[in-house]
Amino acid sequence: MIMKKIFFTINKTVIGLVFVALSFASCKKLIEIPANPPSSITQKQQFADSSTAMTAIAGIYAYNAGNGFAYSDAALTYSTGFSSDELSYTRSNDNQQFYNYTLTPLNTGISSLWSYPYQSIYQVNAVLNGVTNNSGLSSSFQKQITGEMEVVRSLYYFNMVNLFGGVPLVTSTSYSTTDRLPRATVAAIYTQVLTDLTDARKKLTATYPSAGRARPNLYTAIALLAKVNLYQNNWQSAYNEADSVIRSGNYNLEPSLNNVFLDGSNEAIWQLPANQGYYGVADAQYFVPFFSTPGYLLTAPLLNAFETGDQRLQNWVASTTVNGNTVSYPYKYKNTSASTTPTEDQMVLRLGELYLIRAEAAAHLSNLTQALADVNTIRARAGLAASTASATSQVAVLNAVMHERQVELFCEWGNRWYDLKRTGTAAAVLGAEKTGFSANAELYPIPQAQILLNNLLTQNPGY
Amino acid sequence: MYKIYSEHFVLPPGYTKKLLLFMKLTTLMLFLAFMQVSASTLAQKVTLSERNASLTTIFEQIRNQTGYDFAYTTSTIKAAKLVTIDVKNVDLNEVLDRIFSGQPLNYTIENKSVVVSIKEASLFDQLSAKVKAVLNIPTEIGGTVTDTLGHPLVGATVSIKGKNLITQTDSKGNFSFPNMPQGNYTLVVSYIGYEKLETSITNTGKYEHLAFVLRLGSSQLDQVRVIAYGTDSRRFSVGSVSTVTAADIEKQPISNPLLALQGQAPGLNVTATSGIPGSQVLVQVRGQNSLNLTQIPNQNPQKPYDQPLFIIDGVPFASQNNNVNQFASLVAAQSNSGGINPANTGISPFGNIDPADIESISILKDADATSIYGTQGSNGVILITTKKGKPGATTFDLNVNTGFNSVGRPVQLLNTQQYLQLRKDAYASDGVTPTNDPNNFLGYAPDLTIFDQNKYTNWGKVIYGQNTTNTDVHGSLSGGSATNTFLISTGYNRSTYNYPGDFADQRYTLHSNIHHNSQDYRLTIDLTTDFGYDQNNSAGFGGGTDVVLPPNLPNLRDPSGNLLWNYKGVDLTSDQFYSTLLQPTDLQNYNFNTAFHISYKLFDGLSIGTNLGYNRNTTDENSINPGVAQNPAYLNRQANFSANTFQTVNIEPQINYNKNIGKGVFSALIGSTYKKNTNNSTYTTGQGYSNDNFLGSINSAPTVAAMDGYNIYKYSAGFARLNYIYDSEFILNLTGRRDGSSNFGPGRQFGNFGSVGAGWIFSEEKIFKKSPSVLSYGKLSGSYGTSGSDGATAYQYQALYASFPNYLPNFQGIRPSFPFNLYNPDYSWALKKSLNLALDLGFFNNRLLFNATYYRDRESNQLVNYPLPIQSGFPTVLGNLDATIQNQGLEFAVSSTNIKAQNFTWKTNFNVSFNRNKLLAFPNLANSSYASTYEIGQPTSIIYGYKYKDVNPQTGLFEFYTKNGTVTSSPAYGPASTGGDEVPIGNLEIKYTGGLGNTFTYKQFSLYIFCQFSSRNAPNYLAEIYSTNQLGLEYNQPVAVLNNYWKAPGDVAQLQRLASSYGSTAIGPAIRFPQSSGAYGDDTYLRIKTASLSYQVPNTLLNKVHIKAASVFVNGQNLLTFTDYKVGDPETPGVFTSFPIQRILAFGLNLKF
Repeated sequence: MIMKKIFFTINKTVIGLVFVALSFASCKKLIEIPANPPSSITQKQQFADSSTAMTAIAGIYAYNAGNGFAYSDAALTYSTGFSSDELSYTRSNDNQQFYNYTLTPLNTGISSLWSYPYQSIYQVNAVLNGVTNNSGLSSSFQKQITGEMEVVRSLYYFNMVNLFGGVPLVTSTSYSTTDRLPRATVAAIYTQVLTDLTDARKKLTATYPSAGRARPNLYTAIALLAKVNLYQNNWQSAYNEADSVIRSGNYNLEPSLNNVFLDGSNEAIWQLPANQGYYGVADAQYFVPFFSTPGYLLTAPLLNAFETGDQRLQNWVASTTVNGNTVSYPYKYKNTSASTTPTEDQMVLRLGELYLIRAEAAAHLSNLTQALADVNTIRARAGLAASTASATSQVAVLNAVMHERQVELFCEWGNRWYDLKRTGTAAAVLGAEKTGFSANAELYPIPQAQILLNNLLTQNPGY
Repeated sequence: MYKIYSEHFVLPPGYTKKLLLFMKLTTLMLFLAFMQVSASTLAQKVTLSERNASLTTIFEQIRNQTGYDFAYTTSTIKAAKLVTIDVKNVDLNEVLDRIFSGQPLNYTIENKSVVVSIKEASLFDQLSAKVKAVLNIPTEIGGTVTDTLGHPLVGATVSIKGKNLITQTDSKGNFSFPNMPQGNYTLVVSYIGYEKLETSITNTGKYEHLAFVLRLGSSQLDQVRVIAYGTDSRRFSVGSVSTVTAADIEKQPISNPLLALQGQAPGLNVTATSGIPGSQVLVQVRGQNSLNLTQIPNQNPQKPYDQPLFIIDGVPFASQNNNVNQFASLVAAQSNSGGINPANTGISPFGNIDPADIESISILKDADATSIYGTQGSNGVILITTKKGKPGATTFDLNVNTGFNSVGRPVQLLNTQQYLQLRKDAYASDGVTPTNDPNNFLGYAPDLTIFDQNKYTNWGKVIYGQNTTNTDVHGSLSGGSATNTFLISTGYNRSTYNYPGDFADQRYTLHSNIHHNSQDYRLTIDLTTDFGYDQNNSAGFGGGTDVVLPPNLPNLRDPSGNLLWNYKGVDLTSDQFYSTLLQPTDLQNYNFNTAFHISYKLFDGLSIGTNLGYNRNTTDENSINPGVAQNPAYLNRQANFSANTFQTVNIEPQINYNKNIGKGVFSALIGSTYKKNTNNSTYTTGQGYSNDNFLGSINSAPTVAAMDGYNIYKYSAGFARLNYIYDSEFILNLTGRRDGSSNFGPGRQFGNFGSVGAGWIFSEEKIFKKSPSVLSYGKLSGSYGTSGSDGATAYQYQALYASFPNYLPNFQGIRPSFPFNLYNPDYSWALKKSLNLALDLGFFNNRLLFNATYYRDRESNQLVNYPLPIQSGFPTVLGNLDATIQNQGLEFAVSSTNIKAQNFTWKTNFNVSFNRNKLLAFPNLANSSYASTYEIGQPTSIIYGYKYKDVNPQTGLFEFYTKNGTVTSSPAYGPASTGGDEVPIGNLEIKYTGGLGNTFTYKQFSLYIFCQFSSRNAPNYLAEIYSTNQLGLEYNQPVAVLNNYWKAPGDVAQLQRLASSYGSTAIGPAIRFPQSSGAYGDDTYLRIKTASLSYQVPNTLLNKVHIKAASVFVNGQNLLTFTDYKVGDPETPGVFTSFPIQRILAFGLNLKF
């Protein structure tokens, strides 16, 4: 009876009002907000035309930790420098773990060596998605961009496979398919790298698409292909590709060592503008000490490797005194501020390396004369006499090539660490120079946090 | 001179009777000629201000002021009610009318004497009544209901017991039952917040105007408390609501009102992130409802710690409890690893609200209380209500106090000799000879080979050793009439940092409220405005953790104060503590809150109204890095400027409807909400300034970079609450809400939420009523309902590209852009279902109140930033997770007046809560990103790690158990599911927490002691050592490590052998240790949070100096802690180098004019 009365009252006076209130709520107008926030645009808008699309492509070459060129922060250089026999570290933090192989999967440096490339690879894949079959963009633009992106992606995977071994092979932006990918085999990664570069070679032209040599052209693809083939022991391919770059006539060794890393260097095949904000190229910012004690010191084995009179020791290495002790540090990049002239750029690939690739490939192909000639080209630029290696001994010539690589390419792109590993000399060299080296140390650990998030990732042995 | 009749009358009993007879006769005569008396005007003016005073007290006061004597007997006034009156210069007869209104007494005035007598009917009335009785003519029973101030109580319920009759008072407080047959009736009058009145009357056929005066509920059961869109009392509530009132807040010498809640309410966790003035205070209601991943490194989840919705005077606080700062400074540098994400540390927006302006804080916990907030209420709701004016004489209230702060629990670090020995032991343990040559970096030890071996600086003392002060002044002016009241208050607070330098948090507030009722009480207007200005000066980032600098570090400043950057060629840059002191970060926070309410009563029972609210919280920051703070070798003068504005516009039209139906009262609230939230921020950095004096402006910066941020949120809803209270015994409460949120993609924007609550006040049953029992109140109540969560940022449902931050250069003239997010168009509300069951008991006439509550919350369809392996390109994606988290718990609260004697009272409040969190369901957990983080059936605060064994006496290394039970110093990383040795080693959930408050008053003295306690498993101090300041490296350490580390084979030690560098072989076990059970331990403490002693200066002294009231007090905060927790503060476990929680002793004075 009472309930009935209550319900009657509710019906009569309230329900109507509830409807008024609810219709107020359901009004979509009240919760309408602008289509996109002022600071961002939708993916569709981003690839609506070529000039807007170019901003996304610029975002791949410009440095920004996690969103941009992943290897412009010197981390690859110093980490591999510690692991090989180039650098030691005077500060107390977990960077020291690289030096004597006490790395753990919790190491913070490892984490960025893994994360930044994958974040960049996503950007590359997103651009590939955005331009492919996009009717708003010309087919020549699509072709050009696709080729460039393939070169960038292959650079990332090439370094990943050398640091970690097989890694998850991500070629799409769909997180629902990529988040559970296990590690691919080393062979599968190299296959992808070669596929990308081969395709890029078809799509790119000899002309750089923009000012300077900041975006890959045909020869960038070929140069990288030469390097990859060298690492894969495909001597003939490596030889041919390095040869075609050297013979293209587009590049010349800079006669002065101090000009090699400058903006507009004739030696540059791929050279990114310094993107470290106010600081210039990251390598200079890290290695050239602001204060009295350098953090990154060149080791005795590297310093001793320079022959007397080697101009590279004069021009690419600098020293200072701490409490009466002389300490040396890398000085290829010298500007600690972006505003200093002449401007330095971040070198990715240069002709000097291509000479040494051709030399090594030639030596393996028993073309020892060519090999020594290339080595001597590099030596001559450094103010050194021709190599004394016997022109009849393949071993001697190969040793000469590897020695030249050590002093020419030191603290650049992990070359020394990769060389020791790929030539199987790491154990002999590093085992003799310092303690703690084991075969397992040749691969860095997969960051623990990533294994926790994707338990299909298996850890490298020994960690 | 004066005759005090009452005293004489009491003595001879016979005499009293005679006098009574005489009085009766006199009364009779006087009534026959009553016009004569009441017409006589009295020129005497009276000023009175009394609350709940006895008639004797009132009479005494009037006699003092007018010289009139009072003639009465003790038995005459025995039945008299207490009187509350507040008049200024009012005629005596008017005052007497007021005093006697509603009293069962009459008065007459004879020759400057007021004669008091028991009310009796006149002869004529008696006659007519007799006639009516004989004829049995039905008569109206009616009257008015007022409060003790004489204000009509509108909407009070009057019912006739045993009959099915109930009515409510109209806008003048009148009620009426027409045509009631003659006979005896029992009338029950009730009104929220007031004590229930039950009176027997006899209807003799003559209309008698009944005047009921309700007294404010003195029992907590009947006190008014603020709930969602209204008020209620605990007696009739079916929701789970706790309140903390001004009385509890004002005794605590704290400057952030959130800190005042610590331990005060069951189910509420309040965590201070550090002792820095102005720093963040985190609040959580009934546990963590959503999945969070704070324990995973390299992740930065957006929603790491569930916090409730904060509403101030009906306006959602624009910034909520988010940090308002954008700059890293000393404040933001604090990290609290006790299960809380360091991202939550910073400047608290609540630091800009003066606790002295708060009337009450209500914590809404269950579905019944929060469902009406729909999507916003899923993590509980905290309603802050500020003070309003009270009718009466204009009063100025001044409160001044000064506090002295010191470190609550100081940490003792090694002295130079102890430190150097530790370092030497470390090198010896690694077999490395310390050297001064950096080329030999493993042995490079400037502190052992270059620095002075005898120099000693106690960095802990340098950095945290200052005793600082805390000054607080608060003045408030209030008063008004029954229809218009006002309040204006202003406050100033200055808390200095316990840190070298001129650093302080200063707050200026202005609070005001005006309230107006039209004469007919139909129109009500209420306007509350708050303005707060808070200035926080702090030092550059990271200075706090410098307490672990080597104690023999060379001088960092020369005698004239210039910074030194190297010592004998050793670079001191990373040790240059004083540099941070020269990098001031100045934060200015402005908070403006205005709440306007207007309502109009269309007719009795129905009123319409609107809440209009606006809140703007703006923060300007400025931080500089001047040349004097920098190494001249690399000089880059820099200045940063930022602004951050949060705004809320809130509009809520409402309709209130009340009606008596049957024996019950029905009330309905229907309303709708429109809310718009925006957040805009800018950040500008200038570099390369040529002179330090330019750093105040961006104009002189050669290089400028700027960034901005933007977020928008719109929300609209319709809501209704229907409530029916049947016969004061059965309660039914229904709430519903339909919500729309702009945070969701098309087609997902709307959701419905609701709750059902019911209660049975079983003490109303006859069985309890009949026999007098100790049980005076008993209620069983329960509720079940849903609420949601849209706690996401805008626009995440589409894929976005954003430009590179402005500080990065263009790429070949092109502004680079990058993919901003992974998008998921399908995410929608998280859904929380809450069950709440409560038992409330009152004993000894409600002097002892007991509450026990059981609750069970289940949140499903979790809206989370789902963590992804970085191979997917982004660390997270926003989405719903088909997982269910349950929080269930028990809460107990007791409040009791243990002793109430004339001069002495003792009151106790106690609460304790137990929350248990559990992951109930997670389909496909094993194949998700959470596979190694959570386990079904376990709490979400579970931690994975190694089971710690001990230090191996032979190798000197930490040893852990593998998953197979074998022992190793290098267990495999990762949980067992990924082949590692990590297993669940515990959980960080708080096992129980609560508070115990005792108030003693003796005459003019009052003592309040409040203890807070908590128990959990938490990181111990070794967690910080082994994760950041490795033992043996160039860091100072707490003395607790002395003689506790392994040195030689055979040693049985607590800590393993020392490491001299990260290259040491001891490093592997060392960095595993923080992930083992060895780094966790019991964190149980009981802390005397507040102790307050006050003395009320007697009125006799004050009257002469025209002061109404005065008191002096001393308040203490964090005075004493009882705990087994070693090294550091148990409230901020796992870190001992951060800015310590302060012990405060404040002395103050309160004056009322």
